[in-house]
Amino acid sequence: MKKVVLNGTLAVLVIAGCSEQTAQQEIDLNQEWSTFEEQAKGTEVNLYMWGGSDSINQYFDNWVIPRVEETYDITLNRVPVTDTKEILTQVLDEKTAGKNEGSIDIMWINGENFKTAKDNELLGKPFSDKLPNVQNFVDLEVPQIASDFGIPVENLQAPWGTAQFVMTYDEARSDYPKSLADLEDWVQQYPGKFTYPALPDFTGSAFVRHVIYQEVGSEVFFEEALMEREEVEELLEPAWTYLNAIEPYLWREGETYPESLARLDQLFANGEVDFTMAYDPIKAAAEVQNGRFPETTRNFIWDEGTLSNTHYLAIPYNSPNPQGALVVINELLSAEAQAAKMDPANWGDLPVVELAKLSEEEQQLFSAIDLGEATVPIREMEQNRLPEIPSIYVEWIEESWLEHVAQE
Amino acid sequence: MRSLRVPYSVLILLCFLFVIPFIPALLASLGGVWRFPLVIPEGWSFRAWEAVFRENSGTLSAIWTSLWIALCVTVINVLVSVPAAYALVRGNLRYRAAIEAILLAPIFVPALAVVMGIHLTFLRLGLTETVLGVVLVHLAPSMPYVIRAAMISFETMNRETEQAAQLLGAGPWSRFLFVILPHLRAGLVAGVTLSMLISLSQYSVTLLIGGGQVVTLPILLFPYISGGDTSIGSAYTLVFSAVALLLVISLDVALRGHYKKKGRSRV
Repeated sequence: MKKVVLNGTLAVLVIAGCSEQTAQQEIDLNQEWSTFEEQAKGTEVNLYMWGGSDSINQYFDNWVIPRVEETYDITLNRVPVTDTKEILTQVLDEKTAGKNEGSIDIMWINGENFKTAKDNELLGKPFSDKLPNVQNFVDLEVPQIASDFGIPVENLQAPWGTAQFVMTYDEARSDYPKSLADLEDWVQQYPGKFTYPALPDFTGSAFVRHVIYQEVGSEVFFEEALMEREEVEELLEPAWTYLNAIEPYLWREGETYPESLARLDQLFANGEVDFTMAYDPIKAAAEVQNGRFPETTRNFIWDEGTLSNTHYLAIPYNSPNPQGALVVINELLSAEAQAAKMDPANWGDLPVVELAKLSEEEQQLFSAIDLGEATVPIREMEQNRLPEIPSIYVEWIEESWLEHVAQE
Repeated sequence: MRSLRVPYSVLILLCFLFVIPFIPALLASLGGVWRFPLVIPEGWSFRAWEAVFRENSGTLSAIWTSLWIALCVTVINVLVSVPAAYALVRGNLRYRAAIEAILLAPIFVPALAVVMGIHLTFLRLGLTETVLGVVLVHLAPSMPYVIRAAMISFETMNRETEQAAQLLGAGPWSRFLFVILPHLRAGLVAGVTLSMLISLSQYSVTLLIGGGQVVTLPILLFPYISGGDTSIGSAYTLVFSAVALLLVISLDVALRGHYKKKGRSRV
């Protein structure tokens, strides 16, 4: 017992001795790109990200990590977290304690978390426009990239992947409405065959935003000065009129809504309703593959386009290795890495690089990937994207839906 | 130790209560597709287990880190708690109730409520992202249980035995080793086990103080069970339970066996 105690204290002391801090070096982002690659050689980069998906984790462990090791001699550590907020808490505490050399080099964020990071000045210098692969392949001016749920990105984070809303139906069972205006007629023709998840379900809420875009328009939500709650409530009325008009023709005559997307998927799989939806364009193909959805399942998007949001990679202000972070993020935006990320065998996440900007050879990488028959062709999705509105409005919409649609 | 005769039916019931929660976890970890109306999953796959024990999954090193931290925590706990409990029970302390309340406070105050302050302090001291920092922060939720267990042992021990040993010429050390410690045995086994298990199961404080650089088993497990991949979450849960169970059994055998032998030859 005594020996163990001694060893324990010794080890503990040794470990404590190693945790000295060094001051963070200032980094000039206007240097030649090759100097960053040079400086990053042989260094370690810590990437903190949500770790709940095995396919995402595997994309890193089997593809990205070996690649940056081979190409740049960088050791990339993937640190899994349960909730991205935990990462921000850590940086925020480090900032409060004045720790100028943190441990996080790259973090995977968007939306609400980006807002928190930006408001608290947890991010380093604007960098995304300095990355060669962004300059070559990504259009930073596109609305759904330039603003992250209504918050101007200002190059503080680099776009990395895209999610897009899609509708799903079964080709063998029914036809589909091309637009929300068509949907109004369609539900009257086939009562009981359509519904959407009750808000605040994430996907149900996105469906309702499409109705709002159609009935109200989206421009007013992007004006720089935020609206007051009452103004928004007033604006939303036409959308509630639309939803209340279709309500009697919905599943169970609209008396109740499925409580979650999982439940709606269930109803679709059992043939109780003809449609489901997802904020993930490749999910349907995966569900066909695992046998949950029928072979004849197909996705479609509204003629007016569907909502799309971008997820980003950011560098905290106190990153111990910003050069390494830049090199890794740039590599994650290469055609090869983006194509590998899109492959459902790895992850199945849509790219942010624009296919038209790639060389023919690089485009080949993308067209070679089998996204499954259920998936809408990627070019078609790319051309029909709508940006997300500021997240504060999303909250109000969800509360207002409960009052005006669910309870009436 | 003479054990009470427990009817077999009760034993079987207890086994059932213990085993039943693991059945869904096992099924989920092996299941291909498992949705609502199905009672058992459709098709079998070892995908989750492969993910847990893949070469670069880090599971094994996380198990060792967890055990090492739990061991350090427990050793410190015992070294601090036994004297503390002795003083609380035997010493004529002023404000005894107040001291006891402070020592046991972490049971009632959730760790997360204080961990933000601890994190800031540890950041200033350079203790974050170190095993030492994680060990220190695990002491807070576990120490009260060890103190409590040791106190109960002291309370049930009469002072005469100690005085008899003293009269027969035993110094403080031999009194402690040969009279007090054997009596503490049962209580310490309980305290040590609790301390190990509490340390093993810490997630949020480990993540915050360890800064993601100290990877214990819960750090790998939690992302999968909350909203992630439930198959892998289940597989990790079973690994976690197996580690905890093996630890408890081996501790029990080691500590009880050790003192049983000693008890027979010395007293």
